[in-house]
Amino acid sequence: MTDKKYPTPLLDDLEKGPWPSFVKEIKKSAKSPMVQDLLGLLERSYEEKIGHWKHGGLVGVQGYGGGVIGRYSDLPAEFPDVSEFHTIRVNQPSGWFYTSDALRTLCDIWDRHGSGLTNMHGSTGDIVFLGTKTTELEPIFSELTAAGFDLGGSGSDMRTPSCCNGMARCEWACYDTMAFCNDVTQTYQDELHRPAFPYKFKIKASGCPNDCVASIARSDMSVIGTWRDDIQIDPAAVKEYALAGKLDIGKDVAGRCPTKVIDWDGTTLAIDNSNCVKCMHCINVMPKALSPGKDRGATILIGAKAPIVQGALLASVLVPFIKLEQPYEDVKELIAAMWDLWAEHGKNRERIGEFIQRIGLGNFLEQIGLDPAPEMVIQPRTNPYIFYNL
Amino acid sequence: MPAQTPESVADAMYAMLKDYAGKKNLKAMDLTKAMIEKFGDDCDKQLCKSAIRILMDDARCTYSYVGGSYVVLNPDYGK
Amino acid sequence: MSADVVKAKRKTDIGPPNYTKFLPPIIKENYGKWKYHEVPQPGVLVHTSHSGAKLYSVRAATPRLLSIETLRLFASIADEFTGGFLRFTSRNNVEFLATDEGKVAPLIARLKKEGYPVGGIGPSITNIVHTQGWVHCHSAASDASGVVKALMDELYPRFENMDLPGKTRIAFACCLNMCGAVHCSDIAVLAVHRKPPKINHATLGKTCEIPSTVAACPTGAIRPATVDGKQSVEVIEEQCMFCGNCFTVCPSMTMADPENDGISIWVGGKVSNARHEPMFSKLAIPYLPNNPPRWPEVTAAVKNIVDVYAKNARKFERIGEWIERIGWPKFFKLTGIEFTKYHLDDFTHAGESFKRSAQLRHSSEG
Ligand code: HEM
Ligand code: HEM
Ligand code: HEM
Ligand code: HEM
Ligand code: SF4
Ligand code: SF4
Ligand code: SF4
Ligand code: SF4
Repeated sequence: MTDKKYPTPLLDDLEKGPWPSFVKEIKKSAKSPMVQDLLGLLERSYEEKIGHWKHGGLVGVQGYGGGVIGRYSDLPAEFPDVSEFHTIRVNQPSGWFYTSDALRTLCDIWDRHGSGLTNMHGSTGDIVFLGTKTTELEPIFSELTAAGFDLGGSGSDMRTPSCCNGMARCEWACYDTMAFCNDVTQTYQDELHRPAFPYKFKIKASGCPNDCVASIARSDMSVIGTWRDDIQIDPAAVKEYALAGKLDIGKDVAGRCPTKVIDWDGTTLAIDNSNCVKCMHCINVMPKALSPGKDRGATILIGAKAPIVQGALLASVLVPFIKLEQPYEDVKELIAAMWDLWAEHGKNRERIGEFIQRIGLGNFLEQIGLDPAPEMVIQPRTNPYIFYNL
Repeated sequence: MPAQTPESVADAMYAMLKDYAGKKNLKAMDLTKAMIEKFGDDCDKQLCKSAIRILMDDARCTYSYVGGSYVVLNPDYGK
Repeated sequence: MSADVVKAKRKTDIGPPNYTKFLPPIIKENYGKWKYHEVPQPGVLVHTSHSGAKLYSVRAATPRLLSIETLRLFASIADEFTGGFLRFTSRNNVEFLATDEGKVAPLIARLKKEGYPVGGIGPSITNIVHTQGWVHCHSAASDASGVVKALMDELYPRFENMDLPGKTRIAFACCLNMCGAVHCSDIAVLAVHRKPPKINHATLGKTCEIPSTVAACPTGAIRPATVDGKQSVEVIEEQCMFCGNCFTVCPSMTMADPENDGISIWVGGKVSNARHEPMFSKLAIPYLPNNPPRWPEVTAAVKNIVDVYAKNARKFERIGEWIERIGWPKFFKLTGIEFTKYHLDDFTHAGESFKRSAQLRHSSEG
């Protein structure tokens, strides 16, 4: 079908099999000479078991410090059409909903100015346009903004916040994740486009502790919906689950509660809500009978990151509970205080989680004006080397 | 010292970038700290932010990425 | 770029389109009013609103790397079946949002015919979150898309069925940077370098800032040095843990090595707060060779872990919860994976993973 310039037997093997094939996808765009050379270059990587990309060159759109990732091949003579293969990050719409028209608009822009290859979506959550030349960047940018889209972040700046689909399609959303995500995305456009931080900063928003956007592992600031009052129980629906017999409520629900606060006597289900840790398990398995309480809000956790540089971290509790209502002034004040401190005192390439480890959580809290709380720790310290400040 | 404006801070930053060109890469916060040191109470973070925005928007400077984002002179400025 | 480009009134900082433009009417009407959901068959979610309205979401797999030809196909499928409304998920699946139950079966048939399988909901293996690999990244120790394709061809029935004890999330990253943050997955497949960087002394002084290159190394293995009269650096090889951090700061210190790069496998991480708290993945297999295009050693190893888990875990137990119940010695025994000195941590927080009690599960079979 394609007039391919290079034989690609190794890649062709990955066209077979039931799972959708990225090789087929690349070939669908092979009318572009850039993509034909990409196939040749990638086949070479498969033969040699080594990548053929390098850093280099200044690329970006005027005025922005993020959104374009420069990429050059180390075999420009052999594969000239893919010698430049830059990536563009395009701001994701909150919740990743689209209309067919919006998708076509994006496709048309990318058809005119790039390889035609995308990631829906990249790991940051942004739309990724994969592969174009430096000269196409300004035209793409102006067509994108004309169509109502903008670039995402890269480098020492904020990344486009992302969120689960929350209230749009989930009965468990304890706050409006999409409204919050869109609000912070719009509020911090400057921080997203003009790098002024020691390193990247990501905000991710999940509507409940199931954390479908993995915020606790993947964001510097993780906002996870939760509730403070009692789990809502519909006793009639509980009976239906018991009668249906697919679920052993004693074993599968009460038995799997991490804090063992559920009592099931064969007919009634009772929960000691004061000791429930809001893990979601019972609600997950009995969605028709149980739902989160009515006094809803979110827990804010801080500082998750992948291993580079000082080791991986999961986020830890910063604000145990916050109502999280528009216009989110309290959250924004908190963000401003944290950024102010970290931007001024963080070292180059130090994520906020590492920064907190270096200066100490106690000092960090003092600087941003939050009181220490026992919810922030698994247990108090065991080590007696205390730095008393008298 | 006369009160500083975004434009005057931008000019001072631009002069500093020229001094350091080829010697040391400067981040937005390095410039900000230097300006606050230089102008004292006549300058603050917000003014510095506006100044950097001016340098970018009139194309005197661009951002570079070398293991972190830096503010650098735009080699194509005036061409 | 010249100054007049700028003066020609550029639009900036507009952000993404407001999401409300892209929501189907049924979602706008029932926003925040969903009562419960059911999974009547693999790949289909039915959400019922307090108003009685029903939304049918059909989830199909994509390879993440998508041609605009495919996006246009998705757009026309959405036009045909779901009034033009669709979304993507956090794990690179696509979801079509139907209001008419009658559309569900023909929609599924159409997606399958086009080669995009339907599933990935409930106790199944959903799409593998992954990174760029040889398709686009400079620090890759392996390809990403190829390994994922080979793995999912093998695990495919687990995507289309819901026959696992619990959800099983697999993630892939092609170097320790872990762009995909794989470190909290049930099974994390992580490409690794295993040799210290090769230093190009001829170019290093020119391309890299020496102090920041020295500072980049987490173990302090890099020292400034003069080699053949040129300013450069040297690496204390015994101190190097092959993290590649120096290469990301300094392109003259290359890590890629066809003979020694390969893949490690980590298990038992999770993100959700359901039942057990979130946890990191732990090392199961320190090294398997890079063997494109199908990485048979890697697919066999992952399939083995999934199969042993499927057979032995109790209902709702994620891999990490299952291993906590049975203990690591039994995990290694059941899977037949060898326990080596590489499983013993020796970095900063090493001691945290050592057993400091005599509570052990012994068995007389030894
Ligand atoms: C020294 C450290 C790092 C380097 C050199 C690095 C480099 C890169 C590069 C070059 C890309 C672009 C890949 C491409 O499209 O070609 C990238 C993407 C990305 N990085 Fe990193 N990265 C580093 C650390 C991290 C860390 C610690 C995280 C997360 C906690 C991270 C998250 C991401 C994400 C989410 C993407 C987007 C990937 C995608 O869309 O597939 N990176 N990184
Ligand atoms: C500044 C730090 C510490 C100092 C100076 C210190 C000092 C001592 C001394 C002198 C003894 C011997 C007492 C005796 O002769 O009976 C002792 C015993 C002990 N210490 Fe510490 N200790 C320190 C920290 C800790 C910490 C952090 C722990 C535990 C978390 C700990 C647990 C113990 C225990 C269990 C004993 C034995 C008590 C017994 O025999 O009943 N110590 N410590
Ligand atoms: C000038 C062209 C370059 C571009 C466009 C570029 C682009 C990138 C991008 C987009 C990332 C991913 C960071 C992220 O996820 O936001 C990255 C990571 C990185 N690159 Fe490059 N790079 C360039 C040159 C270099 C050079 C010359 C070096 C070293 C001397 C370097 C060192 C790094 C480092 C240390 C990281 C990881 C730090 C981080 O993620 O903030 N880059 N590069
Ligand atoms: C049975 C009840 C559950 C329902 C109805 C549910 C609902 C959802 C929904 C609506 C999504 C799509 C979110 C998005 O991509 O924006 C999703 C994705 C996800 N959920 Fe949940 N969730 C449930 C339980 C859980 C639990 C218990 C976990 C973790 C243990 C979990 C982890 C995830 C993950 C990782 C995704 C991404 C999947 C993908 O995009 O393919 N979910 N879930
Ligand atoms: S995080 Fe919670 S509220 Fe959000 S989609 Fe997942 S289950 Fe629903
Ligand atoms: S939410 Fe979790 S902790 Fe709370 S009662 Fe249910 S199972 Fe127990
Ligand atoms: S994980 Fe490493 S090799 Fe893979 S895309 Fe990210 S930086 Fe590149
Ligand atoms: S690979 Fe990592 S440990 Fe080795 S020299 Fe480079 S930075 Fe240091």
